[in-house]
Formats: sequence, structure tokens, C-alpha cells
Amino acid sequence: MSRLVVVSAALLFLAGCAGSSGQSAEALNAANQRFQSVKENPDVLRSAPKDVIRAGESLARADRLSSYWGSEDDVVHYAYLSQRYSDIAEEHSALMLNEERIAKLELERQRLQLALREAKLLGVQEQSAWLEEQLVSLTRNEGGRGLVITLGDMLFDAGRAELKTSANRTALKLVQFLQLNPRRVIRIEGYTDNRGDAAENLKLSRERAQAVADVLIDLGIDAGRIEVQGHGEDFPVAENASSQGRAQNRRVEVVFSDEQGRLGSTR
Amino acid sequence: MIRFSFCVVVALVVLSGCASDPAPSEQLRLTEQAISQARAVGADEQSTELNLADDKLAQAQAAMLDEAHKDARVLAEQAELDARLAEARVLTEKSQEQLLELNNRINRLRQQLGELP
Repeated sequence: MSRLVVVSAALLFLAGCAGSSGQSAEALNAANQRFQSVKENPDVLRSAPKDVIRAGESLARADRLSSYWGSEDDVVHYAYLSQRYSDIAEEHSALMLNEERIAKLELERQRLQLALREAKLLGVQEQSAWLEEQLVSLTRNEGGRGLVITLGDMLFDAGRAELKTSANRTALKLVQFLQLNPRRVIRIEGYTDNRGDAAENLKLSRERAQAVADVLIDLGIDAGRIEVQGHGEDFPVAENASSQGRAQNRRVEVVFSDEQGRLGSTR
Repeated sequence: MIRFSFCVVVALVVLSGCASDPAPSEQLRLTEQAISQARAVGADEQSTELNLADDKLAQAQAAMLDEAHKDARVLAEQAELDARLAEARVLTEKSQEQLLELNNRINRLRQQLGELP
């Protein structure tokens, strides 16, 4: 009787310990497949050799236990550990590959950043020198007024204040120059010939100067750096007797301040 | 008769094997360490593996109180590897993001260089 109790207790216990053997065989098989794929990946072997070894050891243990009765739970457990070690090894390998790529790209980034900085610096220096040369060729130094650029009357239609598109190049040069010399300010002065009504001419000269100022402001120059004046028929640069002389008198002049932002005195 | 006694012997061997498992205190300590390490690198409740590790650690601690030492050890061992996998996944993810960001920056630099006169 007592023997029967012991035997049935033992059988109950065995039943309790044992999962279904199909389940453990499945787990073992899955862990084995996982391990084979990890083991054959040279990157994984290189980056996480210890985890690969542990995956193999756990798998061997699960395999050994699978030949014993009543060890199904242990088989499943060691198969689980083996799978986890394989997963960890693979994850470490992905991390290592990423880190290698990051190190390479970081060098590339530094190289590009340096190249860009040099190119920009060179660009600014070259542009600045080129523009000054260009502008100087357009300017003349008029004693007390400082540097002056004259925009000829071909930039406007007769009697109109709108700047023609042919003025764009000059306007762009002015803008670039002002951007590269942020402390300089300008005064834009309009002039006409002596034909027509003097008050009309004064108004037109002012509007033309303002038209130039508007273009510069549209292109990003702060309006505070620009002064606008109309002088009408005053201050001719040539005789109004000939049409050629009158054409010379119809003009817009741009007066530059010095580098400290001081403009010459107004007329 | 022979079969009976064989069964008894096997059962006793298995029983004694189970019963003689020492308390896996060291394993529990390792598991806790692995879990806090995973948290330290940024694994959170979004990580399936970390949640598994937490659950199994709690079960292992309960099993310790019941003196079910083998259960405690099995659970704690699995939880340790769950946590280590959670940590590894977070680190890989972070490096992936870093890689992406670096690529973006390089593309922006290339573009700027291309736009220069």
C-alpha cells in the first residue's frame, strides 16, 4: 500500500515536471536553427564571440537533457537561454557594424565640414574683392561726398519712375556689396534735366531714387541703411543744351558712407 | 517488481535532484543587475524583453519565498538574458538613430558644397 503511494507520487511528480515532449523537441529545434545561422555569420563571431559560445553551450546542454526522461522543462529552459544568447550576439553584431559605420561617416562629415568652411571663407574673400573692384570701377570719389555710383537714365523710361530690368545687375551688385559691408549705409539721390516743370522734375527725381531704394530693400537690405533724396534739375553734371548733356543729367547717384557708416554731407 | 523499484529509484533521484537545489541568491542578484543596467541605457516599458524580465524576476522572487529554488533559478536565469537582450536592442536602436542623423548631416553638407559657385 505504502509502496503504491510512493509510486503514484513519483509518477505525479514526473508528470508535473514534464512538459509535452513535442514542445521541448520544437524548442530544441528552433534554438538549434537559430544557433546555426548565428554561428555562420562572421560579423557576429567577431563582435560577440562569448555570447555565441554560450549559445552553443546552452544548446548542447538542452540537447543532452533531451535524451533523459522527465527533463522536458529543462530542455525548454536551456533552448530558451540558447536562443537568447543568439539574439544578444546578433544584436551586438548589429551594434558593432553601426558603430564602425558611424566612425567612418564621422570622419567624412568632418572632412566635408572643413571643405565647406574653406570654400565659404574663400568665397567671401573672393567675392568681396571682386565686388569692390567692380564697384570701384563704377564709382568715382567726389571729394566731400565720398564714393559715388551713377546709374544712368537708360535705367528708366522717359517720365517714369519704375526701374527697368536692365538695372538688376547693378542692383544685385549693390546688394552684395552692402551685405558684405554691413556697417556701410547709402544715400540715393535722384536728378533730372531742366526740361518740363521744375516741381514735376523734383517729384520724379525723388520717385526714381525711391524706386532704386525699393529694389535694394526687396533684395534684403535694411531700409534703415538707405536715405533717399530728390534734387530735380539742380546739380547738373553737363550742359542741358544738348540732348547728350540732358541724358547725362538724368541720373540716380548712390553715395556710400565710409566703413564706419558715416555719410558725406548732403548737398 | 523490477519495474516498480526502477520507477521508485528514478522518482527518488529526480525528487532529490529537485530538492537539493540551493537558493539562487547570486543569480537573482545578477538578474536585478542586468535589469537595472538595461534601464540605465534607456530601455523602458515599451521594451517587450524588459517587461518579460520584470515579470519573471517577480515570479522568481515569489518562488524564492515558497522555497521553490529550482523554479526561482530558471526564471531568474531567463530574466537575466531577457534584460540583457533589452539592453542590446536599445543600444542598437540608438546607434541606428545616430547613423541616420549623421547621414542627414552629411547630405546637407554635400548639398551646400554643391550649391557653392
